[in-house]
Amino acid sequence: FKKSRRRKPSLYWDVPPPGFEHITPMQYKAMQAAGQIPATLVP
Amino acid sequence: CSRIHNKPTFSQTIVLQNLYINPQNSAKSADGSHLANVSDEEMQEHYDNFFEDVFVEAEDKYGEVEEMNVCDNLGDHLVGNVYIKFRTEDMAAQAVQDLNNRWFGGRPIYAELSPVTDFREACCR
Repeated sequence: FKKSRRRKPSLYWDVPPPGFEHITPMQYKAMQAAGQIPATLVP
Repeated sequence: CSRIHNKPTFSQTIVLQNLYINPQNSAKSADGSHLANVSDEEMQEHYDNFFEDVFVEAEDKYGEVEEMNVCDNLGDHLVGNVYIKFRTEDMAAQAVQDLNNRWFGGRPIYAELSPVTDFREACCR
């Protein structure tokens, strides 16, 4: 049994929002929480 | 649902909130034409790619995955939630810590431990 491995590069993993490549996801979430970025997807 | 979700300190299961964006949900048009743009086959393929992408990455990076589920419920606190049950609590804790520092499809990941241990019993009350 051969363990499955990725067929192709991921479309999703580690893709930052356009324009926010320079900050970390943690910083981004903090900015959302502070209202500096529209928080449309905050749970 | 009371929305009072008790967050466990230790769990084998993690939840990635609103991770899956359903193509039939995300581009809504007033006249319903958005539904014609995405066929059921394309939906399935999109979903399969997403599922494999997440599953393979989780196993590669964080450890053996026992079970993984994607929530199709449209409740705003549930939609697109991905639940991953790892073999050990340590794997889950490590995954939550690391995933909260990663992007996914142009968005930050919101990861936390989930109390769900048996998905057939899981019910949001």
